[in-house]
Amino acid sequence: MNILIVEDESRIAKRIERMTRAIFANGLQSLKHINTLQEAMTFIRNNELDLVLLDLNLNGSSGFDLLTSAVSESFHTIIISAYRDQAITAFEYGVLDFVPKPFNQERLAQAFNRIYTKEKTKNNTIKFLAVKKRGGIQLVPIADLVYIKGAGAYSELFLEDGTKELHDKSLEKLEQLLSYSFERIHKSYLVKMSEVTHISVASGSKYMAELRNGLRIPIGRTKYKDLKAKWI
Amino acid sequence: MNWGFLFGLLLPLLPVVSFSQEPVFKEYGTLFRIGDQPEWAAKDLSDGHWKSDLTYVADGEVFWSRTKIDILKAPGSLRPYGLRLEVYAEYEVFWDGVLIGKNGNPGQEADLPAEGELWTTFSIPIHLTNEGEHVMAMRLSNYYFPDHVGIYDLKIDNYNDLVTQRLIQNSYMHVFAGAFLVASIYFLFLFLGNKKEYPMLIFSISCFLFFGLTMTHFVRTTLPIHYSLHVIRLEVITSLMFGISFLIPLYLSIQFPYPKRKFFLGIYTGILVYFFITKQHFFDFTILSMVICLWVFALGIAVFGIYKKAKGAVLVLLTLFLCLFIGYSVSFNVSLFTGFSLILLNMMYLLSLRIKEQRLAYENSLVQSTRLRLELLKKNIRPHFLMNTLTSLIDWIEEAPKKGVLFIEALAKEFDLLNQIENQTLIPIEQEIALCRAHLDIMGYRKEICYVWEEEGIDPGQKIPPGILHTLLENGITHSMPLEGNRIQFKLIFESTKAYKCYTFLTFASPIPQDANTRKEGTGLRYIKARLTESYQGQWELTSGQVNHGWKSTIKIMPRR
Repeated sequence: MNILIVEDESRIAKRIERMTRAIFANGLQSLKHINTLQEAMTFIRNNELDLVLLDLNLNGSSGFDLLTSAVSESFHTIIISAYRDQAITAFEYGVLDFVPKPFNQERLAQAFNRIYTKEKTKNNTIKFLAVKKRGGIQLVPIADLVYIKGAGAYSELFLEDGTKELHDKSLEKLEQLLSYSFERIHKSYLVKMSEVTHISVASGSKYMAELRNGLRIPIGRTKYKDLKAKWI
Repeated sequence: MNWGFLFGLLLPLLPVVSFSQEPVFKEYGTLFRIGDQPEWAAKDLSDGHWKSDLTYVADGEVFWSRTKIDILKAPGSLRPYGLRLEVYAEYEVFWDGVLIGKNGNPGQEADLPAEGELWTTFSIPIHLTNEGEHVMAMRLSNYYFPDHVGIYDLKIDNYNDLVTQRLIQNSYMHVFAGAFLVASIYFLFLFLGNKKEYPMLIFSISCFLFFGLTMTHFVRTTLPIHYSLHVIRLEVITSLMFGISFLIPLYLSIQFPYPKRKFFLGIYTGILVYFFITKQHFFDFTILSMVICLWVFALGIAVFGIYKKAKGAVLVLLTLFLCLFIGYSVSFNVSLFTGFSLILLNMMYLLSLRIKEQRLAYENSLVQSTRLRLELLKKNIRPHFLMNTLTSLIDWIEEAPKKGVLFIEALAKEFDLLNQIENQTLIPIEQEIALCRAHLDIMGYRKEICYVWEEEGIDPGQKIPPGILHTLLENGITHSMPLEGNRIQFKLIFESTKAYKCYTFLTFASPIPQDANTRKEGTGLRYIKARLTESYQGQWELTSGQVNHGWKSTIKIMPRR
């Protein structure tokens, strides 16, 4: 696990660092603390990370710029902030958790659990997926999304208008963020269930999910049972 | 402007124009002859050789006048005609040879006490007022006013009407004048309540002068005056007019300020004084000249006011044009009173506008003070401060309880100081410094940076709005990275000269990369500015900017004007 802590309060940073080390124990490969926005941006661009712990108010300026670029990356983001009223916005942008200050080790561990145990987020408030484009970051509304196809370390987002976007997060990570309305029907597909019109059986007892736009997506053999139990 | 207000403006017109009827007589030119013969009173007398013009009768010598009058309509039964005169003399009046009245003692004025009233009304026997030609003859002497020969006003009408008409008119005018007296007293009291409000005083005096003008002009039925006092009455009227003509533009100048006010007002006053002094004996001309000057000057001020978009200036302009219109359409006296009352009402309207503005400004300042007080209180319960402090505090308690206790003490001290100052607008500088030091203690525990506080030239007697240095300090902490040795240094310098007092607040630190460009005016600087305005109005300057060693802010406070 490679973790970055972005926090301008030295004492609090040390606290997070200490607790993180305690929680992950041997699972931790690297832990870095940075206290300015600029440095954090640079560090994120140049290093492989698994998790960023981010304070939204750094040195008097809002960390939402950093948040937008953080959530477009491959790693998960957890916000640790004094401003509880920012939680809703943070979740809309697709953070894994929001830990309000003051916090204790238990709360921090609970947040980490969401990645560690692949637990799905209960918060169904995500509104956008931030996608890196040339010249900036574009926010893709979840409402426009039809299904997501895993492509190795990253994912392909298929939108209603037929276009395709690339996202740096793996299908697993996106599944964690989108679990409220999307279903992993196949090891390579994450589908918005409201788009599925019916399930058909093809030759060789292959199950296919037919989408509203006519597209057919295969359903994994192991997934079918769960799907049937949950949705039909 | 609403219509009710406009109606209110036109109301004073009513009493003055409500007396006008078809005349029942026609007056021909008056003939004069110096001398004294009883038969000159006769109706049928050949007076062809009498003079139509007599300018001067010396030493109170008796002279006669004869005026041919046509009665156009005979009076109704029991409703005799009366004859109303304004003549500067003591006299006896004969109607068709019959003596119908006596006013004083013609020819004996120097020996007997002054008895001739300026305005008289006599009853004419009904049998002498048939339709047709009549002759009014007068036996006069004008010892006190030798150059005012002639009948200045003559009116024939129903006797009772003549007597009561002026009474009614004057009662209206007295009510009218009374309104201005009340306004004058009311605004005088308002002025006494707030002695800085000169427009109120000027308005009060203007109203009082206008009250005096009305009372003097309509003195006829209130006070019988001898004809020799006529000049004094006119002098009083002209003086009152002078006062009003001076005060109205002065008032407008205060309400609608323009450049070089003293210069223009000086010139204007000079012109007024010139008219007032030089043309003393043509009163109407003097009054007219002053009124025209007043109108032109007031128009200039109003136009400039409109140009400057001053509230109420358009109404003043409209009123001035309405006055011009009235001046053309009715008699000079009527238009004078109507015009002035319109202008005075207008001035009152402007005052009400200003009073409203002041009330709003006052209410606004109350709201602003409450807001600032809340903002100061909020400083330490804003999530960023409170939650970060609590998180650090928990950490200190968990990791190093003894230090944690010191932290709590520092926190208690800042809260205590904040409690002491929260409802004040100015606090001793030492209290503010203590607040800053307590804040640095807290931040030291949170950020684990070595904060150093220095001061130079502090005068303990000085006061300062609460929380402004504290705000500069907060900004300094937030927007700085420590220098080598993990330290950030703050320095407060005080300088006092005759022209200003100056606090310089220096932060010695390294800047946060790319932070300076994006740093715009935040709530902190707005708070400082609002506090400075609250205590020093416009008499302060605030600069804040990046320098080599970090950040520099200066607060300059100038003495009150």
